Amino acid sequence: MIKFASLLLIVIGLYGILSTRNVIKILVGINVMEIGINIFIIAIGFVNGGAAPILSVDNPGSLLKFVDPVAQALVLTSIVIGLGVTALGLVFARKIHKKHGTYDLSEIGGES
Amino acid sequence: MKRVFAGLLAVAFGVVLLLGISASTGLFSYNEELLDDSAASHYIAKDVNGDTGEIIFGETMDAETGSANMVTSVIANYRSFDTLGEVTVLFLAALGVSLLAGSMDKGRKRRKSGFILKVSSGILFPLMLVTGIYIFTHGHLTPGGGFPGGSMIASSFLLLYLADENFRANVRGFKIAEGIAGTLYVVLGIIGLLAGGYFLINFLPTGVVGNLFSGGIIPIVYVIIGLKVGSEITGIITDMFNEEVKA
Amino acid sequence: MMFNPVLLIAIPLGLAFIAVIFKKIQKWILALGIIVNAVLVFFVEKGETAIGGFKIPFGISLVLDDFSAAGVILINILALAAIVIAFKKAEKFAPVILAGLAGMNGMILTGDLFNLFVFMEITAISAYILSSEGRKPAQSFNYLVIGSVGSVFYLLGLILLYNQTGTLNMVLMTEKTGFLEQTVLLLPVLLIFVGIAVEAKLLPMAGWVRGVLGNSNSYTGVMFASVYSSAALFVFGRIFSQVLVPGTTVGIVIITIALVTFAAGQASAFRSKSLRQVLLYSSIAQSGLAAALFATGFVFPAVLVVVNNAIGKLIMFSAAGSLEEKYGTDDYIGLGGAFNKNTLTGIAFTIAALSLTGLPLLFGFYAKLNVLAAYLNQGTFFVPAVVLLGTIVEGAYFIKILIKLWAPGKEGEWADADQSVGDKRIFSYTGTIAVILAAVLVVLSGLLPDTAGKLIAPEGGLLGDDGPAISLLIQKGGDQ
Repeated sequence: MIKFASLLLIVIGLYGILSTRNVIKILVGINVMEIGINIFIIAIGFVNGGAAPILSVDNPGSLLKFVDPVAQALVLTSIVIGLGVTALGLVFARKIHKKHGTYDLSEIGGES
Repeated sequence: MKRVFAGLLAVAFGVVLLLGISASTGLFSYNEELLDDSAASHYIAKDVNGDTGEIIFGETMDAETGSANMVTSVIANYRSFDTLGEVTVLFLAALGVSLLAGSMDKGRKRRKSGFILKVSSGILFPLMLVTGIYIFTHGHLTPGGGFPGGSMIASSFLLLYLADENFRANVRGFKIAEGIAGTLYVVLGIIGLLAGGYFLINFLPTGVVGNLFSGGIIPIVYVIIGLKVGSEITGIITDMFNEEVKA
Repeated sequence: MMFNPVLLIAIPLGLAFIAVIFKKIQKWILALGIIVNAVLVFFVEKGETAIGGFKIPFGISLVLDDFSAAGVILINILALAAIVIAFKKAEKFAPVILAGLAGMNGMILTGDLFNLFVFMEITAISAYILSSEGRKPAQSFNYLVIGSVGSVFYLLGLILLYNQTGTLNMVLMTEKTGFLEQTVLLLPVLLIFVGIAVEAKLLPMAGWVRGVLGNSNSYTGVMFASVYSSAALFVFGRIFSQVLVPGTTVGIVIITIALVTFAAGQASAFRSKSLRQVLLYSSIAQSGLAAALFATGFVFPAVLVVVNNAIGKLIMFSAAGSLEEKYGTDDYIGLGGAFNKNTLTGIAFTIAALSLTGLPLLFGFYAKLNVLAAYLNQGTFFVPAVVLLGTIVEGAYFIKILIKLWAPGKEGEWADADQSVGDKRIFSYTGTIAVILAAVLVVLSGLLPDTAGKLIAPEGGLLGDDGPAISLLIQKGGDQ
């Protein structure tokens, strides 16, 4: 179910990117898409009945069943990269607004 | 018209994804166990370089990575090179924000902070700072680590911005801090190269799994990452505040 | 004394961080980093290097075989040439360029698919920042959006493969995907293709190129058209000729897309009026050709095409950017006769253009000959026909441009002659020398094609002769 939901988020994000010319909304679309893919990665790494991959008093031995730690590490990387790109995208958005006085790309016209 | 087209394209992509994924992993089922001899199973057993027997929390000495948190052992040791790249991404983003925002006019904003926020920020700021530091120093034992810890530090500065309209952090100071942290990360890798023959090798003894002083270079890496992420995100926030336009 | 290849990544990365601390001297740090890398690249150890000391299929590793060696040498030398040509424009971005160089070296060297993703993001972000030099934020934003969507696709494809194989290592991935059915591989391979196609400038994802390269200056133009695109094509070659060799269905899809890119690029270039637009469409076309070759498995001709395009575009984009800055126009009709005043640059530009079309006695001829020979040996006639047709179109528009740029316009007017009185050079001295050297290299390698070929592929044969280079490593690994 989670996999299905995360794919839905990716599709919604893609629709958001394609359907609007407003830069802020496009960035929101990208972020929805990224959240979708992150949830999907976590779902791929899930193991039925697995514990969180941390050795502790409750789960003391490495022979117990754990979920995939690699998937979680990959998600961390992907989140941080998404954050960086979003920050940069927001600055571009501000520059667009400063230059053209609008956030809507369709109002800018044929800038080449 | 554009929306219909976008919708059709998105739905078509969704159908392709559904078909492709149900052909490979299945949509509603999860793995029953990790694949044999997969990277993940070796990372959990900490036996990438040779079997060392079961790892027991609080007992095993000098295990391969020595970090009780396996995700941390992946991020800061097995795949530390990825993490170096990851902090570089954030570094570049922060740099880009300051390069681009810096070339715009500095504006003055008119926003009044709430009284309650102003008073409580004095209490909250140190608490958030300390929690952030706690989180990244315990990254190898508990959930969390350099990235959440660093973000928490940055959010404590965000609180100061929101509470005091005249507050401005020293951008240059943060830039220098992140530069130093980044350099230290690379230097740590090169020390490993000189001492152990491999870039970013864990050249310190790893101690008992579960102790605060365990994991070799993992806590050091996480402190560096925590400081770096904290200063980078604070830098981004500062640049964006500086750049707010006149109302 | 041979050095660990990780230094090619660690040194520029460390210097990028240092450049932020010492902002005052960042341009010297930039120069130091680029020069050190350009020298170091000849003294790195071949083979597979583990990072962090973990056994290879499980830890991250760097793979330096003949293929990636050709890649890093090309990239580092080009990066050096780019800053020599326009150092003034580069200094402001010192840390960005250094980190970008580290990213590109990482992309080509890494033997791990997720690590590749991280380095591609580093490279992409440095490219987004450099694209802001064009002062068209909407175009930079467009680039960023396309790039982000591409990286989501790549990640999705990668994670599906990871779920099937339990590994991220390229060598092991090649081995394990060999056991999977084509239906399972279809979606992930296509998703990864889309992700890489952004930087490799292939059609569905090449929407950013016109806005970004069309507004490039003499530095960023060289970086985008020559350095970044070569790195992306080498990654494309690594993935689709060695790691995830596409099956029949996927292969046909990818090759078709690549050839359509080639044809569309040449056609658009023919129709363009602005110098930089002709060049950027020509870059798209060359990328399409190289991608088609890589996807078919013709690694050696593909590398020749990449190298030829990279050197040619280095000369042409730097000249085009400088001409634009000098005369304020980009329309090659408006630039009529500009080369008469800048003879040396003109000669270099002419050589580059002719080599790109594949005129005999130039390096491009050797490249095109290898391309055609590879296909004809295989018994394919359709693709060589497309390539030849494209070449004719290419020749037509380049000759059109050259005539305009050398000969004064109809009314005998010179390109804004008044603006350039007393200052005939469009480059600095070092820039002129670099451009001339590049042109000499094109001529020399064209006269001695066998030597040039051996430099690129030291074994003397095609890189793909004994099977893909990376699969040789599998056999080595199996012996242990």
